[in-house]
Amino acid sequence: LHEKSAISVFLHGIFASQDLGWRGRFLTGHARHRAALFAGILCVGCGASGPTESAGQSSALQKGGELIVSVRTEPRSFSTYTSQDATTHLLSLLTQARLVRVNSASQQLEPWLAESWTRSDDGLSYTISLRPGVRFSDGVPLTADDVVFSLAAAYDAGSMISDSLQIDGERLEAAATDSRNVTVTFPRRFGPGLRLLDDLPILPKHKLQAALDAGTFGKAWGLSTPVAELVGLGPFVIEEYRPGQHLVLTRNGHYFRTDASGIRLPYLNRIVVEMVPEQDAQILSLQAGQTDTTASEVRPEDYSPLKRAAEKGALQLLDLGVAVDPDSLWMNLKPGAFDNDPRRSWIQRDELRHAISLAVDRRVFVDTVYLGAATPVSGPITPANKRWHSDHVPQIGHDPSGAKSLLATIGLEDRNADGLLEDRAGRAARFTLLTAKGQTALERGSSVIRDELKKIGLTVDVVTLEGNALVQRFLSGSPYDAVYFHLTTTDTDPALNRDFWMSSGGAHVWHLGQKLPATAWEREIDDLMLRQATALDEEERRRLFIEVQKIFLKHQPMVYFAAPRIFVAASSRMSNLTPAISRPQLLWSADTIVVAPR
Amino acid sequence: MTTYFARRLIFASFLVFAVSSASLLLVRLAPGDYVTESLGVGADPSAAERARAYYGLDQPIGLQYRAWLWNAARFDFGRSMAYDRPVADLVPERAANTAILAAAALVVGTLLGLPLGVLSGSTRSRIITAMVRAVSVLLVSMPPLLTSLFLVFVAAITGWFPIGGMQSPTAASSQLADRLEHMAVPVLALALPLAASFERLQGQSVSETIQQPFIVAALARGVPRRRVIWRDALKASLRPVASVYGLVIGSLLSGSFAVEMITAWPGLGRLMLDAMRARDLYLVAGCAAAGSLFLAAGTLLSDAALTLVEPRVRDG
Repeated sequence: LHEKSAISVFLHGIFASQDLGWRGRFLTGHARHRAALFAGILCVGCGASGPTESAGQSSALQKGGELIVSVRTEPRSFSTYTSQDATTHLLSLLTQARLVRVNSASQQLEPWLAESWTRSDDGLSYTISLRPGVRFSDGVPLTADDVVFSLAAAYDAGSMISDSLQIDGERLEAAATDSRNVTVTFPRRFGPGLRLLDDLPILPKHKLQAALDAGTFGKAWGLSTPVAELVGLGPFVIEEYRPGQHLVLTRNGHYFRTDASGIRLPYLNRIVVEMVPEQDAQILSLQAGQTDTTASEVRPEDYSPLKRAAEKGALQLLDLGVAVDPDSLWMNLKPGAFDNDPRRSWIQRDELRHAISLAVDRRVFVDTVYLGAATPVSGPITPANKRWHSDHVPQIGHDPSGAKSLLATIGLEDRNADGLLEDRAGRAARFTLLTAKGQTALERGSSVIRDELKKIGLTVDVVTLEGNALVQRFLSGSPYDAVYFHLTTTDTDPALNRDFWMSSGGAHVWHLGQKLPATAWEREIDDLMLRQATALDEEERRRLFIEVQKIFLKHQPMVYFAAPRIFVAASSRMSNLTPAISRPQLLWSADTIVVAPR
Repeated sequence: MTTYFARRLIFASFLVFAVSSASLLLVRLAPGDYVTESLGVGADPSAAERARAYYGLDQPIGLQYRAWLWNAARFDFGRSMAYDRPVADLVPERAANTAILAAAALVVGTLLGLPLGVLSGSTRSRIITAMVRAVSVLLVSMPPLLTSLFLVFVAAITGWFPIGGMQSPTAASSQLADRLEHMAVPVLALALPLAASFERLQGQSVSETIQQPFIVAALARGVPRRRVIWRDALKASLRPVASVYGLVIGSLLSGSFAVEMITAWPGLGRLMLDAMRARDLYLVAGCAAAGSLFLAAGTLLSDAALTLVEPRVRDG
């Protein structure tokens, strides 16, 4: 079975096993632990799990069966309130439910546990009605008190999601008006509105109130908790956890959703989550039919063998389109960082970053780094972000001579005819680019940047650091010249990623946590983003964000080259899939997935 | 003899202390920490500070080490930051899995390597000798990482064995056949290079031993060749293999890092790698301590084996 395809995987760089490991962890944004939510371009046998209970043509769908999924890392908790790693997030999607959900495929906010809501005239309060008859997996009814409790728990000292549920450091407030209605009040008007609550799984008050009262909520639902104690509103419950091996989830008999024919979801009886830390082994296991899918996308280098396997009918390879978050290069723009450095006259100048952007041939970048499976981009908002990407924001072409001219304006010219640029004092124009070790796309990307910049005479020394060390380097304020890395935004809505856009933000990586904007253009972006976040009119918000993108591109504090295409593989047993571009691409809508018998 | 083993025990204790201390200090000194890894870019600085204080990462390294040492002396090895469980609970369950793997690999490696070594060292057939040695050289030159990838690949295309894991989700914990099926790939990945090493050592030793006068004399007295070789020559030639047994156990542990990752075996190596990536320093120290215990136990075992086949060690 699949001999030829497996060989390619086998021969693939075995040290690339850390690929994607760090990517999933370093999230920026208001809602760090939530996966970014974007539309998938391909929908295979869609059951169209819509905002209500419509889950497709159930008469043709087979109920039951077991799905085997592989993940690369163990969960660190059974609750996203206390850990935000990818596997804990996956478990939360499978076992918990929110008041509202951002549909990964449509990008739209949809009612989930909430049946409906109304917004007050001042835009500050939302009155939410819960669906009637919803029960936790232990049979206890959901009430408005559970919602109030969940928000209180989110703000507990032991919670990791507190930041993501605050607006400029101020908390939301919730009050139950009766058992089915709850009012959530925002500290100020907030454009994304209830979208913020996609971050808030509703927890059972009857199970966790004691821990919250005792101040031990941060330790509740850790991995040593007996799985029988875990209660949720999601489609599945955890039946077994074997550390380092697997998790077994079975259908929640009290799950609130039904399909269009009234059949109670989920269709699946069981999901087995196997922990396979090595990515080559994950792909081999998929090809051998021992697992049905992976929780995240496949690497570009796995595309060919998987495509061959797909052509034989052994599995499905789904092209979900361009990724939301491209890798990026940024220079250290902290004022004073180069005061004692002879390069201070040019290394933080806009012209240098513009020259880098013009000098790199993005087509070469796409072909070399992503083996052709990518799209050239010039800014952080890729075409995958359908709501906020705009054609009014210009794209940057390949213009090496323009790049050289720009560099000449900051004194970098080839003064000794050796093909390399020197500054006015005759010193080589040279900087160090840090990137993460073991991440193939970043390592390849850095090499392409080095080679392309060499063509215009800029010398780049690429240094790879272990992921944690690299992040610590630029977060701690240690000296560095430039970084090439992957930051993952967490929502399509820029107002939920203000810590990236605003100068005071913790993800404003080129100059972190500014007390006051260091430049006029950063002040301008701050102002626009504040207006964008508080506006309730969607068109106004869009217009303001286009302005932000234009200013960003004019100064290019971060330089972008390409966004990879995202592929996921699934066994041919799986159907009724609703793929989305963000992780977990298939399992975000696990309640409507169907499998054929083995 | 008692003094000898007492010395070895003292050395083993020192080894465990030194390795775990060094691991803890090195992880603590490395750039980045658990808070950076878990909160990531964009974390609120005050939340990161609180987290550092919670985990004790805001303390000076000397103070932190002293506290850990004091607690470790009372068998409290701290709490894993990533798993939020006591290290003393996490490490033994994973170490047991690694021990199962290592023991099985040692047994399989020995049962394959020793007889093949005796065969290649004593046979008159050049073809058999050449074949055994060729396979051995190939396997010796393949690190466990490659061997395991190759075996996973074979398992994938043949479907003979599960590619990874320790147990099927459907199997009861006592289902031995299921366990053995899952063990096949990782055990062979570790055992084949080991068997090849044993074969090389044993083959060389046997070919030298059968030249010894007492073997020649036994053969001259008419004792059957097979009996002389498999009883007398085998015993007399065991010293090289016995003397490397301790080192082999150590190498099994380091080899198991790669094998456990590729075959998804939930052992100590995988746990330690995860802990190092997460900068989970108490867990790293605990894993290192367990690893050095393995090495110390292996060395003791090796010494014991050596005393069995070489009385001069016991006497002197």
